[in-house]
Amino acid sequence: MLRFLILALALAGSLLLNSGYFTNLLVIIGLHTLPAIGLALLMGYTGQISLGHAAFYGLGAYGAAILGRRLGLDPWLDILVASVIVAVIARWIGALVFRLRGHHLAMATLAFGIIVHIGLVELRDLTGGPNGLTGIPPLSIFGHKLTSDFAIFPVVWGACLLMMALAQNLVGSPLGLSMRAIAENERVAASVGTDVAAVKRHIMMLSGFMAALGGGLYAHYIGYLSPGPFDVGFSIRLLLMVAVGGFANIWGVLFGVVFITLIGELLKPLGSYDVIAYGALLIIVIIFFPRGLLEGLGGLLAHLKSPLLRGAK
Amino acid sequence: MVEALQILLSGLVVGSIYGLVGVGFTGIYNVTGIVNFAQGDFAVVGALMTITLNLAGVPLLPAALLAIAITCALAAVVERMAIRPVRQDVIRGIIITIGIGVVIQGVAVIAWGTDAQPMPAFSGERPIEFFGATLLPQSLWVIGTAVALVGGLYVFFQHTYLGKMFRACAMNPFAARLVGMRVATMSAISFMLSGILGAVAGIIIAPIALTQYDSGLQLGIKGFVACIIGGFGNPIGAALGGLLLGILEAFAAGYVSSGYKNAIAFVLLLVFLFFRPGGLLGEMERASS
Repeated sequence: MLRFLILALALAGSLLLNSGYFTNLLVIIGLHTLPAIGLALLMGYTGQISLGHAAFYGLGAYGAAILGRRLGLDPWLDILVASVIVAVIARWIGALVFRLRGHHLAMATLAFGIIVHIGLVELRDLTGGPNGLTGIPPLSIFGHKLTSDFAIFPVVWGACLLMMALAQNLVGSPLGLSMRAIAENERVAASVGTDVAAVKRHIMMLSGFMAALGGGLYAHYIGYLSPGPFDVGFSIRLLLMVAVGGFANIWGVLFGVVFITLIGELLKPLGSYDVIAYGALLIIVIIFFPRGLLEGLGGLLAHLKSPLLRGAK
Repeated sequence: MVEALQILLSGLVVGSIYGLVGVGFTGIYNVTGIVNFAQGDFAVVGALMTITLNLAGVPLLPAALLAIAITCALAAVVERMAIRPVRQDVIRGIIITIGIGVVIQGVAVIAWGTDAQPMPAFSGERPIEFFGATLLPQSLWVIGTAVALVGGLYVFFQHTYLGKMFRACAMNPFAARLVGMRVATMSAISFMLSGILGAVAGIIIAPIALTQYDSGLQLGIKGFVACIIGGFGNPIGAALGGLLLGILEAFAAGYVSSGYKNAIAFVLLLVFLFFRPGGLLGEMERASS
């Protein structure tokens, strides 16, 4: 709990810097944290790979925008309704794909992600095709429009902190123990009475909801949607964020999102070199730091220190 | 009628392309159990290398051979640096191959830019008439290479000593080591084999399908779908699955809509994963045991 308070205070403090660039960066980090936490619950804690999480993010974004436009729903409501719909979709996708495991599951989720992306491009009447949707209204409170980074900041991070707290409680609950048991060994989990399929479906549902929530907020924050940001590349970047964070570690994943977003910013002037860095980082983290970059580097430091200290004695 | 024949022919050619890419998966999969998500990128590297060497003045055949050797070496490096450290863990291996694919694409953008690169056809551009439909000479190269590689690989896996060692490592690496096989060496050889197969596929299809830095993802996925349809690790299955996929896609593009053509592969993939995950012929190990 203390950590959440410190984080909230630090975030509030960051607003005092009054730096537009910094606040914008933090909003982007917040928007990416939501799907990343969802993916961490699924991949890290429950051990089920997904290469299609950008699809849930995209469905949340497009869903919110289309619901707002077609049914005239209020932005707050359309984000919520779209997220619930995506959660239901995720549950059914889960019921289908979790009959598979290993590389079959990886490919099935990748295929799901690509099918959704093709749908976003091809369903021109609904999604505007490659040109996308423009003029999505911003969120507003009592007629006050939340267009600036400073105004949207508390909303995004409020949602983030809420979902992080929810995830943290979940993994500490009996259900969280079942999730970890499934990740370790499905047969053992089933033998002690865990309904493995149901747990996976529920986590998929929650994971989809978090991703869609991020997507919906993104749509109303940016005000413009095109299929580009919701492609396989984003799914892989989410995977990278979760990997850097150490998979089964909520706070680690937050670090992963910050780290990857900052790297992306640093490498922006170099053009397309950022992609190479992402790929190389993914390989390095998976080989050398399977428990995440933070913990891995910490372990490395301790390892380096101990012989030095022993030498001093 | 002529129209249907034309569609069937182009479906056969595209299907052979998918089959060619698909058989590339079999080498690595049959030894390590890892699905190489960078397989399509190996094909792209082979094709782009050949084009560059050819433009630099090297004749086509030596350029192609050199490119195949380079891709083979690249695959060996990948195996040694990235796959060997996580041998026990298939999911980590898969994520690493995803990372490798991303790196290869990133390097390819810088080296070759984002434009599609054309390669001259091997034996001219004059179309061949066939019962009113037409066929490019390069298509015959594609089909011929597919048939030769698939047949060769089947004989390799079923009837040669090395091929049987490959399969033994996939079935039970522990037992394979127990009877004296060097699983690490086999893994390295399997990556080199898949690198060669990928490069050959990429080079043969380059004159038909323009190659650009990110063609690898699509190619790789189509090849994977071909493998799933036919039975993973089984070269004949991969070819059969590729043909089926290519023909279905061609008819869908011809009679329904070309925009949804790509979705067909994924719908087929999901259908097979859910209802017949072993594919039409079953995985090689199950089929042969």
